[in-house]
Amino acid sequence: MSVVYINIFLAFTLSFMGLLIYRSHLMSSLLCLEGMMLSLFVMMTVTILANHFTLASMTPIILLVFAACEAALGLSLLVMISSTYGTDYVQNLNLLQC
Amino acid sequence: MMTYIVFILSVIFVVSFVGFSSKPSPIYGGLVLIISGAIGCGIVLCFGGSFLGLMVFLIYLGGMLVVFGYTTAMATEQYPEVWVSNKAVLGAFIVGLLSELLTACYILKGDDVEVEVVLKFNGAGDWVIYDTGDSGFFSEEAMGIAALYSYGTWLVIVTGWSLFIGVLVIMEVTRGN
Repeated sequence: MSVVYINIFLAFTLSFMGLLIYRSHLMSSLLCLEGMMLSLFVMMTVTILANHFTLASMTPIILLVFAACEAALGLSLLVMISSTYGTDYVQNLNLLQC
Repeated sequence: MMTYIVFILSVIFVVSFVGFSSKPSPIYGGLVLIISGAIGCGIVLCFGGSFLGLMVFLIYLGGMLVVFGYTTAMATEQYPEVWVSNKAVLGAFIVGLLSELLTACYILKGDDVEVEVVLKFNGAGDWVIYDTGDSGFFSEEAMGIAALYSYGTWLVIVTGWSLFIGVLVIMEVTRGN
């Protein structure tokens, strides 16, 4: 495997850790999710182009379609949270109380 | 220097990922995500994927991030946090930058450096992009994507249906009450 993959794996790991560690806004976790999807797209495309997997070239497009679905769903949840509590702060999500 | 262009672009890619993973205010995170999308498009273009690079710009940046941008503008605060205004954000940014610098220096140290995490990475054939030489009159990546409509008909049906169901789910979620 070539060395460029290390950097793309590192980018995926960084945005994954950014997704798991909350600060104040829920929106920045959604942005980290988008970053994960972008790094997966780049990794998949580079693998397909370097190994000449011609028929697999459609899979990054399919990945982008499902990433768009999930981003839209996450944003709709954020909009509902923002309309209930006024802001999208993570500390407002405390109904479970445990 | 042009032989190292892919490596330099991937280093800038990781640095911009650190920029939004250290979680400043979402509006600055969105801005840095746009930059990292452009750099990712550059990496894809260096390997010859012109249509997929266009997809990144059009669908990812032009579609998804525009929606993120105006949702953030709707839910933002009066004094958004920059990277230098909060010690936690600055600390996370510096830690990420240092880890990338260490990785880059270790990779550039020698020609036969070998890193083993789960797979064996070696830089032996990395700076040259392999090519079989004869690509005919068409780009094989564009032909592979065009096969979406012949070999991948079922994929088109499934993704179209899931997008439709996604729209219905979002309409139910935002109905509220």
